[in-house]
Amino acid sequence: MLDVNDIHVTYGRLRALKGVSLSVKEGEIVCLIGPNGAGKSTTLASIAGGVTPHRGTISLEGKPLAGVGPEGIARLGVSLVPEGRHVFGALTVAENLRVATYMRKDRSAIAADYDRVLALFPRLQERIGSPGGRLSGGEQQMLVIARALLTKPRLLLVDEPSLGLAPKIVDQVYDILLAARKMEGLTLLINEQSSHRILKHADRIYVIRGGHIQLHDTAANLQDGEAIKRAYFGFGEEAAIDEEDAA
Amino acid sequence: MIGLLQNLVDAANLGSLYALAALGVGLLFGILRLVNFAHGDFISIGAYALIVPSFEVTAQLFIGEWNWALMIPTVTLIVVIVALISDALVFQPLRRASAPTLMIASFAVSYVIQNGILMIYGARPKAANLWSGLDTPILLGELRVPLLQIITIGVTLALMVALTLFLKQTRYGVMMRAAAEDFRMAQYLGVNGNFVIGLAFAISGILATAVSLLYLSQTGTLAPTMGVPLALFAFVATVIGGMGSLLGAVVGGFLVGFIVIMLQAYLPEDLRPFRDAFAFTFVILILLVRPSGIVPTRAFIERV
Amino acid sequence: MKSGTRPSLVRRFWPLVALCLVVTAIVALGSLGNDELQVTITEMMIRLVVVVGIYLFIGNSGILSFGHIGFMCIGAYAAAWATVDPTWKQMMLTGLPDFLQNNQYGFLPAVAGGGLLAAFVALLLGSAIMRLSGIAGSIATFAFLAIVQSVYSNWESVTAATSSIIGVPTVVGPWVAWLFAIGALVLAYVFQISRFGLMLRASRDDEVAAKSSAVGIVKVRLIAFVVSAFIVGVAGALYAHFLGILTADTFYLSLTFVTLAMLVVGGVGSLTGAVTGVIVVTVVVEVLRHMEAGVAVGATNLHLPQGSQEIGLGIIMALVMIFRPSGLARGREVPWPFTPAARRAKVPAV
Ligand SMILES: Nc1ncnc2c1ncn2[C@@H]1O[C@H](COP(=O)(O)OP(=O)(O)OP(=O)(O)O)[C@@H](O)[C@H]1O
Ligand SMILES: [Mg+2]
Repeated sequence: MLDVNDIHVTYGRLRALKGVSLSVKEGEIVCLIGPNGAGKSTTLASIAGGVTPHRGTISLEGKPLAGVGPEGIARLGVSLVPEGRHVFGALTVAENLRVATYMRKDRSAIAADYDRVLALFPRLQERIGSPGGRLSGGEQQMLVIARALLTKPRLLLVDEPSLGLAPKIVDQVYDILLAARKMEGLTLLINEQSSHRILKHADRIYVIRGGHIQLHDTAANLQDGEAIKRAYFGFGEEAAIDEEDAA
Repeated sequence: MIGLLQNLVDAANLGSLYALAALGVGLLFGILRLVNFAHGDFISIGAYALIVPSFEVTAQLFIGEWNWALMIPTVTLIVVIVALISDALVFQPLRRASAPTLMIASFAVSYVIQNGILMIYGARPKAANLWSGLDTPILLGELRVPLLQIITIGVTLALMVALTLFLKQTRYGVMMRAAAEDFRMAQYLGVNGNFVIGLAFAISGILATAVSLLYLSQTGTLAPTMGVPLALFAFVATVIGGMGSLLGAVVGGFLVGFIVIMLQAYLPEDLRPFRDAFAFTFVILILLVRPSGIVPTRAFIERV
Repeated sequence: MKSGTRPSLVRRFWPLVALCLVVTAIVALGSLGNDELQVTITEMMIRLVVVVGIYLFIGNSGILSFGHIGFMCIGAYAAAWATVDPTWKQMMLTGLPDFLQNNQYGFLPAVAGGGLLAAFVALLLGSAIMRLSGIAGSIATFAFLAIVQSVYSNWESVTAATSSIIGVPTVVGPWVAWLFAIGALVLAYVFQISRFGLMLRASRDDEVAAKSSAVGIVKVRLIAFVVSAFIVGVAGALYAHFLGILTADTFYLSLTFVTLAMLVVGGVGSLTGAVTGVIVVTVVVEVLRHMEAGVAVGATNLHLPQGSQEIGLGIIMALVMIFRPSGLARGREVPWPFTPAARRAKVPAV
């Protein structure tokens, strides 16, 4: 469904991605893990059109996304839940949710979707009239996920859903993501810093560090966590790549 | 007592004009981080569009002579089109530029428009009589209030209510508020960025036209740089009120109108000419002690 | 590569030398022309001083200032207060302090006084606003311009307000202006390669540092602001002694626009950009001005309508901003010409 092929991204002089390739098939849960500054967020933002790679291609169902722009990519059914929540603080919860539906062509289905999605988030239902900025961190995370679901995406990109949340809330977030996936037939690409929770849910895992994909395998093959640890911290043969960068 | 009341009415009248101008400036700043120097020139265009192009000193009304029900939409359309063209030609190609760069670009747009007016209508100020019938004073007890001032205040309030309803109740309004707060996130949700910005320019043009008509009917003079002081005071108002906050722009506009009239009325004779210097000193002080203004917004804090 | 780490003195100062040569060549060629050309060249040199002065602050700190023409105004009036005939001053400028009202000073002390007063005002203003950056900083400098404008165009007893100061000795010709232009170039270049300049540039290029109001950076910014105001104040003094007559509205939005346009067209990132901008914009404006005045084609006189000059300048500036955001010079200095072409690309910009 999604093919990312050798993308390079720079911010000024800083090279954030140095040739990242990955693919996601319909219905899969794919997870991208890596340490701080590895390039996870940059990869997702590139897919969603928020950042433009200067080299490489990204295509959705074979169609290249270059030049489509973030709003166009959203309309093609790719929705990003960026890191750091990005709730519209001055808008009410209801308005936050409504913004996500404005681009949709299937207006008649919106009301039903709205009820269905809200049923997943009883907490949001209770706070429907309060400004987004007043919600707690956990509630905001729920809100941005609910909002993304209301764009009716086929591919949902979630950037570090567990960031800054208590473990119990993180469990809830994952339960909801999995429930939503089942209900809406979603494909998921999730960023995380750590692998332990993700190993349970993901089909396949990519490990990224220093702007390179260091490791890629099915979750089943990685269950012991050793290979991930090595790729994540850059022991053994992976060190060679860093030297090549420095040159 | 009557003197004070009279001054307060004057302050509300002037404050209305500043608040309308400040709303136009604040709207674009909120969405685009553009401090639009050219807003004053949008106002000038609204006034010049009413008259026959010529170098004569006494302006001959053209569109200005039409029935108001036809004239107002026509002038508004002209200003909106100019605003949209300036977006398409200059600001759209500069979407990724920094806020100060955009400010310079709007300076260039302003300069071009001013000299465009000068090219078509000449540099000299012109006299023009718009709605001179509305000058009749209304007696409220001992208070004599020109009908025009009442209309100005009324129109301002009506436009503010309309804008609020638009922003709160319509889908486009909600989109604009979302984009003003977090432009990129709104785009990720499928909100068309260029459309929303175009909408903001259009509304800014409508507000500018209202100022053109009200201001011209009060002063009766046209000059290529007539919009400049209005835009400057609109900046003052938006900074005082809090850049990016529309409520702040309105509060700031009325506050500036109030300050200017009161300085004018109560400052010692020999300090009166320096009214503007006081107003702008106030701007610097506000920037220093309360950079987010009287009505701060989260968007401002993240952006500046 | 020893020469790479410690370039020779000549090489280090090469961009400055090259720019001075270009400027000198222009004035020398211009001095062969008619009076009108002399006037154009003089004005161009004065603008060069202004733009180089503004560049010293904007280019190094990365903060856009709309207020520098205010310093020019301050410098111009201060110098005129010194050199205008005392009998006129006693009649018209009764608010001036005695030492100015009753005496007449020479050109050089007047110019120095203009620069120093501007620098002093910059020190006061800068101490307050240098911790603002980005759009807040730009608006504050703009407010300053408006304040200067309001004060100088209304302070009857000191500036003669709308009735202008007249009789300023017109002693500035092309070579006098040239001398100051060279001085400004040297000062700006030495500043930018000094420790202060390098520190400021490092903070400018690093977004986090640029936004920070770390004491060190604010202090260096203030130094740049004061030095740059001094240069622009001197330029104001020159301008007064070039025009011979002073009105405050000379120093407002139009001049601010023209000087910023020069800086933007050439590129704010380098001294070479500042100089390029002044030259290119002057040439373009002159050409348009001549076309406004009319070109005789056979019996008819073809001419562009009044205002074409300004519109042309606005359009060119917008085009540069859109298609070449770092300006014609692209933020680089004049490259050392004796490096093999293949390696030239790697010579770092100062
Ligand atoms: N807008 C930006 N401007 C400049 N540099 C950036 C920007 N965004 C990210 N970077 C840099 O790019 C590199 C990759 O960042 P990215 O945010 O993609 O990492 P990440 O894997 O998401 O890290 P984290 O786990 O901390 O979120 C980092 O070195 C970061 O500092
Ligand atoms: Mg990240």
